[in-house]
Amino acid sequence: MNAPFDPKLLTEPTPEFTLSAHQDDIPSGEVLLNVEHVSLSFGGVKAIQDVSFDIRKGEVRAIIGPNGAGKTSMLNVINGFYHPQEGTITYRGEPRKAMRSTAAARQGISRTFQNIALFNGMSTLDNIMTGRITLQTKNLFWQALWHGPAVKEDIEHRRAVEHIIDFLEIQHIRKTPVGRLPYGLQKRVELGRALAAEPALLLLDEPMAGMNLEEKEDMSRFILDVNSQFGTTIALIEHDMGVVMDISDRVVVLDYGRKIGDGTPDEVSKNQDVIDAYLGVPHD
Amino acid sequence: MSPAFLNFIETILNGLMAGVMYSLVALGFVLIFKASGIFNFAQGVMALFAALTLVGLQTGQVPFAHLINAIFGTDVHHFGWELPAILAVLGTLAVMVAFAYLFEAIVLKHLVNQEPIILFMATIGLAYFLEGFGDLMWGSDIKAINIGIPSGGSFWWEDVTREWATEGSDYFGMYVDKLDVVAAIVAIILVVALTLFSQFTATGRALRAVADDHQAALSVGISLRSIWVIVWSIAGFVALVAGIMWGAKSGVQFSLSLIALKALPVLILGGFTSIPGAIVGGLIIGVGEKLAELYVGPLVGGALENWFAYVVALVFLLFRPQGLFGEKIIERV
Repeated sequence: MNAPFDPKLLTEPTPEFTLSAHQDDIPSGEVLLNVEHVSLSFGGVKAIQDVSFDIRKGEVRAIIGPNGAGKTSMLNVINGFYHPQEGTITYRGEPRKAMRSTAAARQGISRTFQNIALFNGMSTLDNIMTGRITLQTKNLFWQALWHGPAVKEDIEHRRAVEHIIDFLEIQHIRKTPVGRLPYGLQKRVELGRALAAEPALLLLDEPMAGMNLEEKEDMSRFILDVNSQFGTTIALIEHDMGVVMDISDRVVVLDYGRKIGDGTPDEVSKNQDVIDAYLGVPHD
Repeated sequence: MSPAFLNFIETILNGLMAGVMYSLVALGFVLIFKASGIFNFAQGVMALFAALTLVGLQTGQVPFAHLINAIFGTDVHHFGWELPAILAVLGTLAVMVAFAYLFEAIVLKHLVNQEPIILFMATIGLAYFLEGFGDLMWGSDIKAINIGIPSGGSFWWEDVTREWATEGSDYFGMYVDKLDVVAAIVAIILVVALTLFSQFTATGRALRAVADDHQAALSVGISLRSIWVIVWSIAGFVALVAGIMWGAKSGVQFSLSLIALKALPVLILGGFTSIPGAIVGGLIIGVGEKLAELYVGPLVGGALENWFAYVVALVFLLFRPQGLFGEKIIERV
């Protein structure tokens, strides 16, 4: 229920605000998700060819590459929108085959989209509340009857969402339909919706595309804060090399669907293949 | 007040009531169209099927009696019980939910991501199937719904309004059917309940989310399939309400399925995606129809009610194709 907003929610010292619904006992630094020899094609078009890399718990992992390199396809594979023809994906130590995106969301994989995919007619608050749907367990029957425990559950989730709104500094647009918000704020609301699911793995598809410098700095700060405060593992696609070098722990580079580089930002930026393919600097 | 003015008021009142009846049907269309982009041609037949099932359950008819008798040479028709109305309504509701679940599992599941026209064709198939199935299950004779809804003109209202007329004029009072009043109240409760549900519950948010963006809804873990079952169940419930009201008005007969055609102009007026639009559209059509019949009818020889709504819809299509409340159609070139 959208209970009338209670200012106490914000001032009350909260014992702990964590995003831990999907956190588990995998120690930091261990492999959270492992992609092995994955290939994906659409008809004759090979979007991804034999790509392997891993994402370790607690890190910020960047996926970079020129346009059409297969970055978004990779994200779609991880989140279950696409099913690769070859290769295996191991998540939390368990190999998985074709998985629907709904199931991926239930296992703690959340994402944002390159072209913002918010629910435009709904308010910021409702958009972020939808992010918690996998955590809401009281069933339709009780919800429809406006049954006590179902209402109480909704209010608890509302409290968590208020924390996220607070964290992302979007209190002032709580009730605004997101369709009316400027681009930068929409991106932030979308991040909020993904965070609301308390993900173990957060996938961000170009979180800073089309933003001005100030907005980029804000977004970088939020991403780093999410990573450090909540220990959320993040995989992100980004074109702004400066940002990538600043915020990511490790970088994987794709070009024409193949992996051409993998390592720390430093290593990757010195890799000659990457310089050739991505930065377009000719050999001589 | 002069009798002519009172006549005018009476016509508007009756138009509003008739409009509510149209809205009840249009509402079912809007719910499904919003959530899945499917124009459900079978909505009218669903109302018919719900009404048939309700009467069948209540009067203790044996389902498929003709079929059973033909195969086994028996002669069963009735279980010999009369269910209380509330039990019959709940039983019918269970049947409509089961129907929604089966339709999703057998048909819709296999048509995910198909063109709207293919889904539309599937609902045409559903309409004819359901009509035949209802016939087979409950027989094709005209039945009366009797679940205790008051009907007939209200004498109290007639007496009250007779007093309003100017002294000495031979005015006999307004005619308002009690059934129509009940239908209006039920429609109001239905719309308020649906609105509260969609605004203030997690499932309601999921419904709105799916209506807004399928892909984003999937990414937050909303299962499209269960949402579709829920939407079709709700549409089945709305069909049941419409079936009860229309059935009580004109008997449960197979022409009931044609009320879907009356919902079309309502949808074009109100917009296919707007619940308030379905209500306001229904009211406008209802009132417009009755007023036109009263004032224009005599000039063109009557029977205006049969086509007036469609002409209004046609005019709307020319000047405001998205309807009064629909989302504006913006084409990017």
